[in-house]
Amino acid sequence: MEEFEISRNITIGQYLALGSFIHKMDPRAKLLSFALLVAAITFSASYAANAILLLVVFALVPFSKIPLRYALSGLKPALPIVLLLAALQILFYTSGFAGGANCVAFFRWGPIDSNTCGVQLAIVSAARFVELLVLTSLLTFSTTVTELTLGTEQLLVPLQRFNFPAHELALTMTIALRFIPTFAEELERIMKAQVSRGADLGGQGRLRFVQQTRALLPLIVPLFLSALRRAEDLILAMEARCYVGGKGRTHFLELTLKRRDVMALFAVLAFTVALLVFPLAF
Amino acid sequence: MPVRKIVITGVLAAIAILLGYTRLGFIPVPNLAGNATIMHVPAIIGGVLEGSLVGALIGGIFGLFSFLQATTPVFKNPIVAIVPRLLIGIFAYFTYVGLKRVNEYAALAAAGVVGSLANTIFVLALAGIFALIPWEAMIPIIPQAIAEAIIAAIITVAVVAAWKGIESGAGGAKKV
Repeated sequence: MEEFEISRNITIGQYLALGSFIHKMDPRAKLLSFALLVAAITFSASYAANAILLLVVFALVPFSKIPLRYALSGLKPALPIVLLLAALQILFYTSGFAGGANCVAFFRWGPIDSNTCGVQLAIVSAARFVELLVLTSLLTFSTTVTELTLGTEQLLVPLQRFNFPAHELALTMTIALRFIPTFAEELERIMKAQVSRGADLGGQGRLRFVQQTRALLPLIVPLFLSALRRAEDLILAMEARCYVGGKGRTHFLELTLKRRDVMALFAVLAFTVALLVFPLAF
Repeated sequence: MPVRKIVITGVLAAIAILLGYTRLGFIPVPNLAGNATIMHVPAIIGGVLEGSLVGALIGGIFGLFSFLQATTPVFKNPIVAIVPRLLIGIFAYFTYVGLKRVNEYAALAAAGVVGSLANTIFVLALAGIFALIPWEAMIPIIPQAIAEAIIAAIITVAVVAAWKGIESGAGGAKKV
């Protein structure tokens, strides 16, 4: 029966309570810094910029007290795909990336076109992946889901003036997170019910996808229906209590922006702008 | 946003996230992408049931989680992970609304197919533009895209027809 123990094995969020500088940062400042760094990583394509970014990202790890092993935990399972993509990029990239016309060709044969731009693309893509992996780990290991939701809501509040549903969006996230364990239990029950009626839920295997898909339907459809039924109950309960969101609602947790949050945010902002504005030759 | 839309968005987003956590939403296939997925189906169903805004929000939450938890370089790019997913529900909604008058079942199936293809096409297009996957390497993904579209259509029809209690003569569940 162990394969049906879904709800016990689910951990929402990966928060590690370490109380570091990054843990204590205001979620708004942390999210903004995260977004800035993600933008910096996504839009820098040169070797030099990515080397700097790699250094910066790894230098941030000690500030979070998160063991490097944890921060890099996603790397090992991804390695085959990273290498495969790199090989494809080296073999097939014609031009138009980074160096543009400055590509030096190694050899050409039919559709295969191997040149320095392809190599640069492969290396930069791999570096970007590692940078983003470490950065998202830093965010998810150091921030609880509640903080993330509240931070997002507070950041989006200015947009409410333009009818952007900031509060509703946060409530949606909260409802989603609240219901994941419930649905995990539900799924467990459905699995057991189907198996007890003789359903074959199918083993793992890359070549058995037809069987796997067929086994999935009697699980997914009841799951959706029971979820929608629960949604109806919740709607009724909320409407019966005359729920009105948005304006004038107060929070249980109040965020306060401290001086070090502002300083950290400005440091990240300055770094990102500098990296994106100054062209790096190599 | 009315309470109904908020709650349906939250609940369906929870399913999308759960399918990711349990790996149930991934069907291993032998190609470059590694997995076919049904994680976009909640966005399609949300779009069909409650309109394009709900569909887009579910897609957005699904995209956000797929970015934060990505184990492949393709989805470790926020633009590739989030933007195409916003469009799934929107495309599904307009397909459904456009075809509803012709035939409810056909409209649902078409919404499933279109939403699914919107996901595949926009993800691949952005991955191509960001030079994450070479255009040549995308050909093996086509059969997977078709399979995903068919699965999405089947689930959409099964769930929405059962939910709305559409009269179907022989019984909707058996048809699937």
